Amino acid sequence: MTGQKTAVPNLAPVVTIKVAATSDELLQCYALRAAVFMGEQHCPYDEEFDGNDYTATHVIMYVDGEPAGAMRLRWFQSFCKFERCVVLRRYRGLGIHHTINAWCKEFARRKGYTRVYVHLQKRHLAMMEKEGFRRVDDRVFNFSDHEYYAIYCDLDPSQDAVTLTTTPMVVNRPEDRLDVEGVLEKSAERGASNPHVHLDRRPN
Amino acid sequence: MSTIAQSIDGEAVTTRLAMRMEDSLQAFAVRAACFIGELDVPYSEEFDGHDFGATHILAYVGNEPVAALRVRWFQSFAMPERLAVIQRFRGHQIGQLLIERCRALAESRGCSTLYTQVLPGDVKYWEKQGWRRLVAEEASSGPKPIVAMVRAVDPSKPLPAAEAPESVVLRRETQLDASGLPLGTVSN
Repeated sequence: MTGQKTAVPNLAPVVTIKVAATSDELLQCYALRAAVFMGEQHCPYDEEFDGNDYTATHVIMYVDGEPAGAMRLRWFQSFCKFERCVVLRRYRGLGIHHTINAWCKEFARRKGYTRVYVHLQKRHLAMMEKEGFRRVDDRVFNFSDHEYYAIYCDLDPSQDAVTLTTTPMVVNRPEDRLDVEGVLEKSAERGASNPHVHLDRRPN
Repeated sequence: MSTIAQSIDGEAVTTRLAMRMEDSLQAFAVRAACFIGELDVPYSEEFDGHDFGATHILAYVGNEPVAALRVRWFQSFAMPERLAVIQRFRGHQIGQLLIERCRALAESRGCSTLYTQVLPGDVKYWEKQGWRRLVAEEASSGPKPIVAMVRAVDPSKPLPAAEAPESVVLRRETQLDASGLPLGTVSN
């Protein structure tokens, strides 16, 4: 041994998660779902892309910059529904679905939700029970060739939850970056000239 | 030669060009299912930056998108690639149907040559469809060997024995910079 310090390379994969906010990020979510549900589980296209993609929030997860996982969130009055959760095959076994679940739970808490609801393929129950999910009731139902349970999980209310009294310009920020100044706050520096077309000045 | 299915389980087999956003999404989904889902190709290699300069052709069984082909256009040839057929619809020559649609499209555009790159194990399949190796040599070396193949758009006008310039024999996928130009071609 020379006694010299050698830099130890950091081999841990870098995992980043964000709301899909561009067409490209949305396409990444769709491609990952197609890979897993159409490619591996033989789901037909129109069942996978079921008409609810444009009423939902999509979350994309990267491992070392490469799209690796995704989730779709739909917002109901009393709960947030987590669905279409995928992790690409090459990234499985690392437990990173727990990472994306935890991120989405925190995201829902910040929006004021205290309950998450999931339709879970039966084979995954033990995995989700570890995260605090419980079956809603005894019902077992099936769609797209799989059997499902309805499960839910209660979330601790967030002190920072968005409410009617939250600063208006905070509500306007990108929803996964509520603590960072948003583009509309920068626009406020232009002042308010209230530009609009005056209908009464239109000819005729 | 096997016949191309006109229908599967009573559902008509049809093809069309991707013309709307939803069509493109269907093509991307079919490619993702086959290349990312089945073959573990990374997303960034499958969606390589060439998708929006290309034409996608789709095949449907009834209303379900089941196969896709990407065609890129060069001055001296058309390049079909990213041929994907959803697993449970294989064995009906839907891939051939898409290649034929590509051939007809190339013909309508006055193109005389189709060019593609295939895995060494697939060369025989393509030869049966009327393609031949661009050069007689073996597959290129390296971690991902590929074979360049060509066929005439009009079978009655076969291609000259060797007409493609050397640079076209194996077109390596260029790495693009953030502006979409090949890396190293612009200095910023």
